[in-house]
Amino acid sequence: MVVTGICQPMDPATSTAPIQNDCETESSSVWGWWPSWRPTSMSLLKTAESKILACIHSDLWARFVTLPNQDRIWTLTLTNKAVRKHAEQASKTPLVMVHGFGGGVGLWIRNLDALCRSRPVYAFDLLGFGRSSRPPFPSDAAKAEEQFVNSIEQWRQSVGLENMILLGHSLGGYLATSYAIQYPSRVSHLILVDPWGFPERPQTQTEGGQSQGTEVVKRPALPRWVKAVAAVVSLFNPLAVIRAAGPWGPGLVNRFRPDFKRKFEDLFDDDTMTQYIYHCNAQPPSGEVGFRAMSESLGWAKRPMLHRVHLLPPSMPLTMLYGEWSWVDNSSGDTVVQIRDQAHTRVKLINKASHHVYADQPEEFNRVVENICNSVN
Amino acid sequence: MFPLDSPWNISFAGCGFLGIYHIGVASCLLEQAPFLVHNARHIYGASAGALTATAVVTGVCLGETGANIINVAKEARKRFLGPMHPSFNLVKIVRHMLRGTLPADCHELASGRLGISLTRVTDGENVLVSHFNSKEELVQACVCSAYIPVYCGLIPPTLQGVRYVDGGISDNLPQYELKNTITVSPFSGESDICPRDTSTNIHELRFTNTSIQFTLTNLYRVSRALFPPDPMIMKTMCKQGYKDALHFLKRNGLLNYNDPLRDRPMLANGEENEHDNVEEEESSEDNEGEELPHVEEGAVVVHSTFSEEEHIIVHLPPSLHKALIEACMERRSLVQSLRNLLLVRMASAMMVPYTLPLESAISLTLRYTNVFASSLLLEWLPDVHEDVEWMGEQTLKIMQHVFRQTSKSISQHMSARFSCQLELHHTQSLPSRFSSTNLFPTWVNRSSSSLQDVFRHLDKYKRQLMSGVLCINMDLQGSFETGPMSTNKRCPSITCTDGLIMHDCPEIAPAADAISSS
Repeated sequence: MVVTGICQPMDPATSTAPIQNDCETESSSVWGWWPSWRPTSMSLLKTAESKILACIHSDLWARFVTLPNQDRIWTLTLTNKAVRKHAEQASKTPLVMVHGFGGGVGLWIRNLDALCRSRPVYAFDLLGFGRSSRPPFPSDAAKAEEQFVNSIEQWRQSVGLENMILLGHSLGGYLATSYAIQYPSRVSHLILVDPWGFPERPQTQTEGGQSQGTEVVKRPALPRWVKAVAAVVSLFNPLAVIRAAGPWGPGLVNRFRPDFKRKFEDLFDDDTMTQYIYHCNAQPPSGEVGFRAMSESLGWAKRPMLHRVHLLPPSMPLTMLYGEWSWVDNSSGDTVVQIRDQAHTRVKLINKASHHVYADQPEEFNRVVENICNSVN
Repeated sequence: MFPLDSPWNISFAGCGFLGIYHIGVASCLLEQAPFLVHNARHIYGASAGALTATAVVTGVCLGETGANIINVAKEARKRFLGPMHPSFNLVKIVRHMLRGTLPADCHELASGRLGISLTRVTDGENVLVSHFNSKEELVQACVCSAYIPVYCGLIPPTLQGVRYVDGGISDNLPQYELKNTITVSPFSGESDICPRDTSTNIHELRFTNTSIQFTLTNLYRVSRALFPPDPMIMKTMCKQGYKDALHFLKRNGLLNYNDPLRDRPMLANGEENEHDNVEEEESSEDNEGEELPHVEEGAVVVHSTFSEEEHIIVHLPPSLHKALIEACMERRSLVQSLRNLLLVRMASAMMVPYTLPLESAISLTLRYTNVFASSLLLEWLPDVHEDVEWMGEQTLKIMQHVFRQTSKSISQHMSARFSCQLELHHTQSLPSRFSSTNLFPTWVNRSSSSLQDVFRHLDKYKRQLMSGVLCINMDLQGSFETGPMSTNKRCPSITCTDGLIMHDCPEIAPAADAISSS
């Protein structure tokens, strides 16, 4: 079940120490001596992550959870050390947090401590992201989704959770919804933060072949070269640029995503966060491949969740949180309210927050999530 | 609800010709929530955003500014290479435009309230200018902020004696990090006022603080920022800006905030459709002589956010609407429509290799005669002198840099070859002992034949080594000992007979040591 890791109080670096050997064996191969084009490795990722996790004040237990198929899921378990009545905390439904595309457990740094005050909090790197195993993914949308969802279910079994409050951000929100549809009994409350993949791709484009004439009137085509560029771009994995840039990759992340540094600047005044993001995504692509399989034409979901959200049991409470500035269209939240039983569905807009709601407005986010958790038990 | 209890700012992003979007936004804010603009503590802008910010702060008619932008775009579109054509002088046009539209006391209105983002040439740092001593200075600040290097020219303009270029290079959305800054950007992303594309792409870029989501429409917009689209499309962009700003006001409960009694009569949906039909007719009339894609492009921009905002009726303020329509209409002259004929276009495209040099020559001459003419008025002369001086300095710097780089790379190349030769003999510790910089200058100073000599000598040397594999250490030591000796015999710092340069003995000795120990 649990492979490595020790229950320890403060320093995550020591807790991750026993795993080091595993990391090293992974990277060693025939070409191990060859200087890497990309200045990254699992151990660099580990270093960046441990720098971030050093901010955590609660009891942190970080370990790999091995699934039956030998994939390993990097998992954080947090419990509040100040809580005297440990038994009481154990009886509470744990909160499980699923990060978004290209992220990892480190991004929750501003939320973990606050949220584990009343109940245990689990955060894990999705299969194919962060420090988890990076298996190949099928190119079929349904199968790729299945692999993600299965890994979550197997992870739950391995950790031994009976049920949980499932929180997913962005891509994690999509997968969490899919998981909740398949394993409804395990989810006490579903929290979706700026979830990806809900709306459907506008109809006029998809049925282009059928009615050419009307289509031009309704939603005409973009210039041809734009489409050509899109076609070329969609041949590659979404973050291939970062890997192809090699030694310039970290600079690229710094240059084009300075917002990550800014969001966490009160915790780290250096490039820790962008380094972490870089090392998360400069590894060989895996989860990215899965994401690519599930999406089409630059970011639409092949199997949009709005078509399936009615499959969630009507009694399952669902809360959707959206950032005010986010590019995620929060009108799909209203559509979900219409589709589902209104009593159990809530949509909340968090002010002055971008897509990364949890990092932009951590206090507000934590407060809202804590309230939701308390409503469960 | 936007917090109005603390001071707020408005920040316009740089976006080239998409600046027309800002005009739409600004006109909406001024019309629907004037207090939001008038009570804003600062209004920032970069590049094209600076132009709108200036117009808003100084109270210039936005219709006029919008029409100006469209006119510039039309001017740019006339030529084959668009704005890249040598005879298109953007800086001059912008300066002229600003001088014409800004009131005489604009610097007083702008000082302290307007913040223009600039990039200092010397260190690439961002500078926010907010104090202007004269109208000319304000104009110059706008010109500097919009000066995209290479695109606009090669010599950056000066402001108060310092060279600046486009503010968008260092900070495209000034002060966006302040929580109370209303950010305006024509690119779909995470700004307060921006178009909402119906896309769910997860990727997002930050171009010097401006959030740009990775969508097809944005890709199109970025391409249009420097190569202006058809005036009709620009008008729809303006309208889009108005619509997005209205959406922002509604979302934050600022619509009719100041004056809740003033109930704006909202037109019914039918009328909106009618209005749109009229628009469409106008555009089709306008584009009669043109090829179809332009019409399509325009429609894309309209429709990209159509579904979301259908209930909001967009009417540009009449003055702005009229100005834009006029700006768009002008082009229907006979010459223009002739120009737009496919055959004529093709012919002119084919003639470009011949006409371009001629035209650039003419424009250059014109520019310089212009300069000389105005130098009589002692207006440009100091500038020209400075420019020339600056250019000289820069060329010198560049040349020095290039020279340093090439000499470095040549010497590296040399030492690489050198070490290759020696590595053949498994004496890997040897080459590192030779400092390539010592080798380099003497080799360069000598003619190329001597370079060949060197390599021939090396070959000979190699053969020597090959012959005596067993006594390699002795051989090497021997030959090296002869090296410095021969150097000493002849004039110092010249090559020895073996073709190896050995200026100083201390460098050789450790090498020999290393070999003997190996």
